[in-house]
Amino acid sequence: MSLMKNSLFACGLVSITLLLTACGGGAGTTENPDLNNTVVASYTGPAPANTDVQAFSIELWSKLNPVNRCGSCHVEGDQAPMFVRLDDVNAAYTAASSVVNLTAPEESALVTKVAAGHNCWLPTSAACGELITGYIAAWAGGNTGGTSIIALQPPAEGELKEPGSSKHFPAASAGFNGIHNLLTQHCQECHVESSDTPQSPFFADASIDAAYAAAQAAINLNTPADSRVVVRLRDEFHNCWSDCGSDASDLLDEINTFAGPISSVAVNSQLVFSKAMGLNDGTVASGGSRYDANVIARYEFKTGQGTTAIDSSGIEPALNLSLSGDISWVGGWGIQIKSGKAQGSTTASKKLTDLIRAVGEYSIEAWVAPANVSQEDARIISYSGSTTSRNFMLGQTLYNYDFMNRNGNSDANGEPALSTNDDDEDLQATLQHVVVTYDPVNGRRVYVNGEDTEDADTVATSNLNDWDNSFAFVLGNEVSGDRQWQGVIKMVAIHNRALSADQVQQNFAVGVGEKFFLMFNVALHTGIENSYVVFEVSQFDSYAYLFANPVFRVLGDNPATPQGVPLKGLRIGINGKQASVGQAYQNLDLTIGGSAYTSEAGQSLSTAGTIISLENGADADEFFLTFEQIGNSSNVTTDPGTSDDVKIALETTDETVPDIGLRLFDEVNASMSELTGVSMTESRVQATFDLVRQQLPAVENLSGFLSAHQVGVSQLAIEYCNSMVDDTALRDLFFLQSGFNGFGSNVASAFPDLAAKNQVADALYYNLLGASEVANDPTGDLLTRAPTLSEIRDVLINGGIATNGQTYTALFTSMASNCGSCDTQSTDTIVKGMCAAILGSAAMLIQ
Amino acid sequence: MVAAGLLSVMGASMAGSLERNQAKRLHDRLAGVPPTSAMEAGTSGTLLDLMEQDIVNGDPEQAAMRAIENPNFYNVTLKNFAMPWSNEEQTVFAPLNDYVATVIGMVRDDVPFTQLLSTDLVYIGDPSLSSIPAYSMDNNDHYAALERNAIDLKANLVARTQSGLTDLPPEATAGVLTTRAAARAFFIDGTNRAMFRFTMLNHLCNDLEQVKDNTRSPDRVRQDVSRSPGGDSRIFQNNCVACHAGMDPMAQAFAYYDYAYTDDDEETGRLVYTPGSVQPKYLINENNFKPGYVTGIDHWDNYWRKGPNASLGWGSGASSGDGAKSLGIELANSKAFAGCQVKKVFRAVCLREAQERDRFDIDNLLASFNQDGNLKRVFAKAAVVCMGD
Repeated sequence: MSLMKNSLFACGLVSITLLLTACGGGAGTTENPDLNNTVVASYTGPAPANTDVQAFSIELWSKLNPVNRCGSCHVEGDQAPMFVRLDDVNAAYTAASSVVNLTAPEESALVTKVAAGHNCWLPTSAACGELITGYIAAWAGGNTGGTSIIALQPPAEGELKEPGSSKHFPAASAGFNGIHNLLTQHCQECHVESSDTPQSPFFADASIDAAYAAAQAAINLNTPADSRVVVRLRDEFHNCWSDCGSDASDLLDEINTFAGPISSVAVNSQLVFSKAMGLNDGTVASGGSRYDANVIARYEFKTGQGTTAIDSSGIEPALNLSLSGDISWVGGWGIQIKSGKAQGSTTASKKLTDLIRAVGEYSIEAWVAPANVSQEDARIISYSGSTTSRNFMLGQTLYNYDFMNRNGNSDANGEPALSTNDDDEDLQATLQHVVVTYDPVNGRRVYVNGEDTEDADTVATSNLNDWDNSFAFVLGNEVSGDRQWQGVIKMVAIHNRALSADQVQQNFAVGVGEKFFLMFNVALHTGIENSYVVFEVSQFDSYAYLFANPVFRVLGDNPATPQGVPLKGLRIGINGKQASVGQAYQNLDLTIGGSAYTSEAGQSLSTAGTIISLENGADADEFFLTFEQIGNSSNVTTDPGTSDDVKIALETTDETVPDIGLRLFDEVNASMSELTGVSMTESRVQATFDLVRQQLPAVENLSGFLSAHQVGVSQLAIEYCNSMVDDTALRDLFFLQSGFNGFGSNVASAFPDLAAKNQVADALYYNLLGASEVANDPTGDLLTRAPTLSEIRDVLINGGIATNGQTYTALFTSMASNCGSCDTQSTDTIVKGMCAAILGSAAMLIQ
Repeated sequence: MVAAGLLSVMGASMAGSLERNQAKRLHDRLAGVPPTSAMEAGTSGTLLDLMEQDIVNGDPEQAAMRAIENPNFYNVTLKNFAMPWSNEEQTVFAPLNDYVATVIGMVRDDVPFTQLLSTDLVYIGDPSLSSIPAYSMDNNDHYAALERNAIDLKANLVARTQSGLTDLPPEATAGVLTTRAAARAFFIDGTNRAMFRFTMLNHLCNDLEQVKDNTRSPDRVRQDVSRSPGGDSRIFQNNCVACHAGMDPMAQAFAYYDYAYTDDDEETGRLVYTPGSVQPKYLINENNFKPGYVTGIDHWDNYWRKGPNASLGWGSGASSGDGAKSLGIELANSKAFAGCQVKKVFRAVCLREAQERDRFDIDNLLASFNQDGNLKRVFAKAAVVCMGD
């Protein structure tokens, strides 16, 4: 007998001391089942009597009857209930009915017993509980065969709760020192981000503020003994530093000290509010059933703790995944991967090859929330040996999902990959349902949120005979650890069939995570017995709840039909106060009754959903509703912040900003045109302006002036002067009035004396820097910031000493001494040069 | 240009360099170019002389108004004033377009600027101009040619109704919001929220960061906004919703507009308006948050009339309506709109941001704007504030 062998074997392993006490006399030994033996005898009993028994036999009985599970005891002639008896599946069905709850599988005695530690064959009891819950749900789902109608059971009269007052974490960390000291002393090896083995939450951070923020989720102010940090020590013996009981007690004392002075917030008595409900007071909404007929590995992440993600498919061997790196469990089931990976053993992963290669098709299904849309070449789900060898992979590149599949026409890495179209941006950094399928007829397909992305597979289909069964299945990374993906994974399922479009839609429609119907009693206000506002509520992620589909319903045995009940301004309350963010129903204004109300479905109040921030955790947060008006009760809510005293916001700065600035590009162009008389549309000028436009100043601020700006200004000035001097009419208009008439002569003839040179300088000065100034005062000092005529003559003709004491040569002198043949063209060039020097100067550029 | 002859003209009334410097600066700041030295027709002085005399006479605003007569006030100063509003990059280096031309025309004709976001008006180049292609809904050639040919916009812009010139019905016109350039910039692709955001930014001088308020009802936040970006709903609750709760119900006013273009040629697209039919862009990414808001019509609501953004000073517009025109009225009648125009003008002519110490002057400018929405006068008054002393 295997049982006997096991018993002896177990005893043989323990110490001599124990042998004397346990295997010797005294109390009888408890026989442990052999959890390694998977042998199942072939069934020869009567056929299932109906479809429900058939569903039971497939989904639960066959999964639990191996002798390494319940089959070692709960069989005929052994321990009751004999729900896995091998002689008669119909009798087993009857026995199982007493220990399962098909409407709430997780509440089944079968689940709670095993989850509490009764002979679990997996590393943790929670994992067994999760697995069996899945079996029962599958049985129930297969039985109902579709969307089930939820029967809402209103809370009994005595169970109705008034919204309680509750405590909330103060904004500042004052008073947290006692807790912080204990945490930093004893938890800092792991619960700090800089640890070699960092474990979130980082409540042992040396910074008290950081630690305080991180610890809040693990501390229950209202019931300190239920604080997660206390429970972990007291009940789960998690890394205690001395004695778990006294360690927990020490920490609890500190939490009590911290929480004690924090006063409770009571519900404002002015408000019109409903009765209260906690999430777990609600009725579980199991929704529709998933299509899971061909699941060979599945992860729902329901355990919420530990370092193993359980394969709840029930297909042996269980391909459990070891979590390594910065991976945390998220509320509402799931894991958040920041770094690291969740990887299965190659031995267990082999089942994927075995079960998929045989049929030549498969699907990878997942609910994922990519952390961002900037990660590239990142592996979400992979079955591989290295970065260059794999059987399949679902990955992310920016907004795209990538799907690699190894077949006879791909390379060993499953490439070329099928990626979703760049322009479609199918991947978004939000929770998405993604399914990729492969089958020999259709090749690879990608479905996002139930829809085929219609990205065509360019690789010819083939069989999967090349698959390598030595690879490992991994989430969030490559097996080699160098293709990190970041985000949240809420569910993964591998099917050894290509899901059809309808099946993908079905699974998408079911959604992911656990939903509850919360029934808020409003009978006090409506005067209608058992009248409720019912919300569909789920934990959305680690930080919020999703409230959706509010319905007004009258429940109970003989429900009344409401007529003309006004309902206005609904708000969601949490822990004694209205939530400050997310009040999507505050604008509701409707009347309950009439054709909109049916006794089966009630009356929908809104199709909108909203997010309400999580405060003390799903087990502790308590919700209620408030109304501006419902039935006979009303309360006018005033919106704070309305003010008629509106002042225009102006900057306050001590910085002194200069009250002058640069002319901008168009202004420079227009100014030069205005000053020289050359049209802005003159072809050479226009071409130069087009060229240097963006090189000219674009902001007035003087401190933003760069040498590149000056180069642009100079180029444009040269072109304007060039065009002006080349145009006889324009240059005559410009220069003749000052008396200069040297154009057409060589340099020597054009500039015979100082007077001729001064004529050029004067013309430039009058025309470019403001002739009217000279009109009023020939010394030109009326515009205090403009240069004087004598300064211009010095720069152009005479030379002189600059403000820095350096002697400089006049422009004319330089040009005339380097004019080569110094012919008539040189005369033009010299005049153009002098013109550009003035036109492109600060005198023009500053406004 | 005759320098010597002018001495006798001005004679004894000259008051010295201060007023002349002020006159010069008024001209520089308003026209963007130095004053011409030509004699003003019908007078005995140059423009600068006359402006200087105005200042001496205690009427600097009159001096400023003379500078505003320079075509470069329209061709250069106003063009560059408005150009950054008409494109997403907010660059001044963009070609002249119908948005900017309409701003220029409205200022020239003293059209109340509070009609900027709602009027059935657009300015085009005089059709009699030679070698300028006619206005087209399908390209910007008309305006590019006006600029290329340095056409005097002051002299040659003519007013038209948008409903007459384009295929928009009168009720679908909303001032510069329904110009082709605005559509090209803010109705292109995306979700049309850009039109709202840039209108807030350009005309209420508030980017969304400054009007964040997460206490408004999120009931109109569309489905495409993830409530748990990257799996963290705190980001939505603390950031995203603070803008979307107020923005989405107002951006709904643009639900029937799109900028349609083909073959990736964005320059040859056109504004399309589909009354009664919501543009598909309002319904994209519906699975990001299935219980989010589904746009059915172009009805808009201003949730920011309550809460902290009541401080934008909402005025005579309605707090809700249908379509872009009524939203434009609501936005342009806010105190924030008036203050924004005044601050922008101040910046354009004073070359710096208005400071708290300028409060007195800003209030005066605001009072002037609030009289009749005359932006030209605000330009003149602001230039006087900054003409130096």
